[in-house]
Amino acid sequence: MTDAPWLVPQAAYVHIPFCAHRCGYCDFAIVVGKDHLMVRYLDALEAELETLIQPRPVQTLFIGGGTPSHLPEAQLERLLRVLKRWFPLESDAEYSIEANPESLTADKIVLLAQHGVNRVSLGAQSFDPRSLAVLQRSHDPTTIATAVKCLSGSISQISIDLIFGVPGQTVAHWTDDLDRALNLGISHISTYGLTYEKGTSLWKQRRSGRLIPLTEDDELTLYQTAIERLTKASFTHYEISNFALEGRQSRHNQIYWANYAYYGIGLGAARYVGGVREVNTRDFDAYLAGRRSWQSEKLSPLDRARETMAVQLRRAEGIHRVFYRRQTGHDLDAVAPRLAALVDQGVLIDTSERVFLSANGKYVADAVIEKLL
Amino acid sequence: MTRRTAFAMTDPKLIRNFSIVAHIDHGKSTLADQFLLKTGAISERDFRAQTLDSMDLERERGITIRMHPVTIYYTYKGQKYELNLVDTPGHVDFSYEVSRSLAACEGAVLLVDSTQGVQAQTVANAYLAIENDLTIVPVLNKVDMTISRPDEVAGEMKSVLGIEPHEILKASGKTGAGVDELIQAVIDRIPPPPGDPNSPLKALIYNSHFDTYKGVVVYVRLMEGSIRKGQRIRLMRGGTEHEVLEVGQFRPAPTVCDELGTGQVGYFTAQIKNIADANIGDTVTDAHHPAAEPLAGYKVPKPMVFSGLYPTNNNDFEALREALGKLKLNDSSFVYQPEVSEGLGFGFRCGFLGMLHREVIQQRLERDSDLDLVQTAPNVTYEILNRKGETIAIDNPQKVPDAGQIEEFREPIVRVNFLVPSENIGDLMTMCHDRRGVFVRTEYLSQTRAILVFELPLAEIIYDLYDKLKSVTHGYGTMDYEVLGYRAADLVRLDVLVHHKRVDALSTIIHRSTAERRGRAMLKKLREEIDRHLFEIALQAAIGSRVVARENIAAMKKNVTAKCYGGDITRKRKLWAKQAAGKKRMKMVGQVELPQEAFLAVLETE
Repeated sequence: MTDAPWLVPQAAYVHIPFCAHRCGYCDFAIVVGKDHLMVRYLDALEAELETLIQPRPVQTLFIGGGTPSHLPEAQLERLLRVLKRWFPLESDAEYSIEANPESLTADKIVLLAQHGVNRVSLGAQSFDPRSLAVLQRSHDPTTIATAVKCLSGSISQISIDLIFGVPGQTVAHWTDDLDRALNLGISHISTYGLTYEKGTSLWKQRRSGRLIPLTEDDELTLYQTAIERLTKASFTHYEISNFALEGRQSRHNQIYWANYAYYGIGLGAARYVGGVREVNTRDFDAYLAGRRSWQSEKLSPLDRARETMAVQLRRAEGIHRVFYRRQTGHDLDAVAPRLAALVDQGVLIDTSERVFLSANGKYVADAVIEKLL
Repeated sequence: MTRRTAFAMTDPKLIRNFSIVAHIDHGKSTLADQFLLKTGAISERDFRAQTLDSMDLERERGITIRMHPVTIYYTYKGQKYELNLVDTPGHVDFSYEVSRSLAACEGAVLLVDSTQGVQAQTVANAYLAIENDLTIVPVLNKVDMTISRPDEVAGEMKSVLGIEPHEILKASGKTGAGVDELIQAVIDRIPPPPGDPNSPLKALIYNSHFDTYKGVVVYVRLMEGSIRKGQRIRLMRGGTEHEVLEVGQFRPAPTVCDELGTGQVGYFTAQIKNIADANIGDTVTDAHHPAAEPLAGYKVPKPMVFSGLYPTNNNDFEALREALGKLKLNDSSFVYQPEVSEGLGFGFRCGFLGMLHREVIQQRLERDSDLDLVQTAPNVTYEILNRKGETIAIDNPQKVPDAGQIEEFREPIVRVNFLVPSENIGDLMTMCHDRRGVFVRTEYLSQTRAILVFELPLAEIIYDLYDKLKSVTHGYGTMDYEVLGYRAADLVRLDVLVHHKRVDALSTIIHRSTAERRGRAMLKKLREEIDRHLFEIALQAAIGSRVVARENIAAMKKNVTAKCYGGDITRKRKLWAKQAAGKKRMKMVGQVELPQEAFLAVLETE
């Protein structure tokens, strides 16, 4: 079991932190106004890749950010070239990149396709100018359709991200967003409930009372609307916030939800290799100077089992008892003695082979997990 | 640290044993420190260090070194006197300990803050001293302060306690002014201890503490005869015999001496393993030449306030038993016995002297052991006369029998003395009537201050009456109480059902007329304290099968993190760990998680 996928990564994440500006909800490891340091960043990234010692073949590779598509062609090409050397793709691999509609050009798309990128995740967030304004998101909604059109010739899988629960948003606005996304003919949609992360602009506005968040009831209605609308359009609700046409699920993200191992390279990147969780520094200057490590934690077998339970429950398929025991060495029922009670409460479904969240359980997944821990 | 000095037994004529009694914060500790300073028992530097730390010290003293006696020496008119200062606790919960201390003395310094005047505890302690036939040396403290009003306060002392103004001394604990005159007054006015040095040994045990190396350290006041190392002694009531290993005095550090003689105050050790063998109030005598009769001793104080103490994790039951056992070693007034609650599992029913005592015990448990505990709301001891004519003590609402078996339900009544500004009398009257108080009398100390006496059910005062008094009187009111006995009342047990399950630890005994109001208040509080769950929680308050109040806690509707990718898992981990730790402090009742705070909802009154 030395190369078990929960110990030895078959997936890699690479972080590109550059953005044109910071959106109101964003608390990621990003930098704005540092475009002149892109070359130095790629140098530092290469230096970190050297620590892999040898090329690591992967089944999924994901370039996220930040805004990876914000890199000019020359830098983008260098990145793709370097990654090909360190993370060679297995046959039939999934190769994803995040992009913004406004920074994606025809030339960049060609470049991506040439290097084997076969999945693009577009940060659309909304088609409604009002919502986009609240989110402090600069793009013109019409660019989303344009970008999808450009991509569809050469990239087989296109996903877009949408945010719901934006202050002022109504069911009608949200239904419109969902319909317009569906009309694009794409195969994957992520719907994220807006969260007010500490320190972000939206968090400060909410704290000072300038921004009134939606009620819990309204948020729930919007979430239910998304589930209803998208599943009706043949999308599978395969994770709390993710929907895909059959066979078009994000394989890379499923690694996270299986609690499998993955490499993580770049500013603020997290990795999980050999049962050790590590996170890189979020300090841009430190990263450029090669001071990468920030925190590292070796999990106990029981902690790993608990964590595996928590993340796997986010999947529609839930937890397979047999696989779970093989992966963690623990019996699910011993790790979560209150499981049966939660089945009684109607938030979990137990088929004896699998345990998964019921429709009602999905709305309160965090509380269900908390009860199980 | 134990010191050893050459020692000669003091002639009883040159001994004075006394306490200082005062209301809390009237400066007793500072004045006691001045005594030590003036008699050379501590240095100027120690004095300053103690004064500077007086806040901390006061707190620690209240809890750990209360009733520590000190032996000091003072030369007056060419004679060297031995003065034994026996400390007394200031709080009403420990008033029985004041009597214990006073039984070891012939006199008491009655200390009154000249800026604040006579307070409830001043009156209560002065009466205790008078009841014990002690000579009172009245003194006004803090006379150096500009807001001091000695003449007015002297007038209060005259009208309440009958103390003549010309008897009253003036002093300042802070500057030391008047302290020498006070010490001289103690020598002049307080009689020397009586007793025959040649009679068989008779010593009163007035306190004790447990020392890991020496066993029980027994604090004694010698009434007759003497006690020395190697002597075979007998504890007259306990019936056990021991050989004395060490005899000493506190000066203020424990100082070994050869012998303690008639009239002296000090300690001895005799490898006594169990503090219960050295009962406070017992008489120590010589095993070979025993005294004929033991001393009168004192009444053993009865715990007045009870509450349940449960480990949140049932596996910690034995660890809790051990922790309680350790506490009991140093506090004989604390009692506990195992009990089982349907909702909370295995725990202990603990009895305390009062609310402060309860708080002190709780703090010690938390400090000394690493246990997560749930403490149920405090209740007093009731009495039930059943149909068979038996009287049963009810220290736990769970023990209340069916209504059909109850002939009479009785509750403890206390007489409360309030000392308040005259302008607050109306508010105080309302407050006491709301709590089923019966007015006894009003007495004016002066034009601006009065004593109000009420008889109140103890249950109505234990929890928050003191806080309410402080708030009504803007901090100027004080109170003191004594237990009168039991009286019949229309009492009922009010049960709380959480999600249709009766939680026995939330049951409470109340007066029928307040059932609805209390029920509503309790449920409102429970609704605040219990987190929303995945299902709607029904809360009900009921007398028997009759529901008197109800509330609902709505189900949680949406609670799910939008994103859970690589880095998010690391962040979530910490949250999960925190939640798992937080859950350790929760108690499961059926499928409902109850936090510790929920168990105190019973105390909500409005």
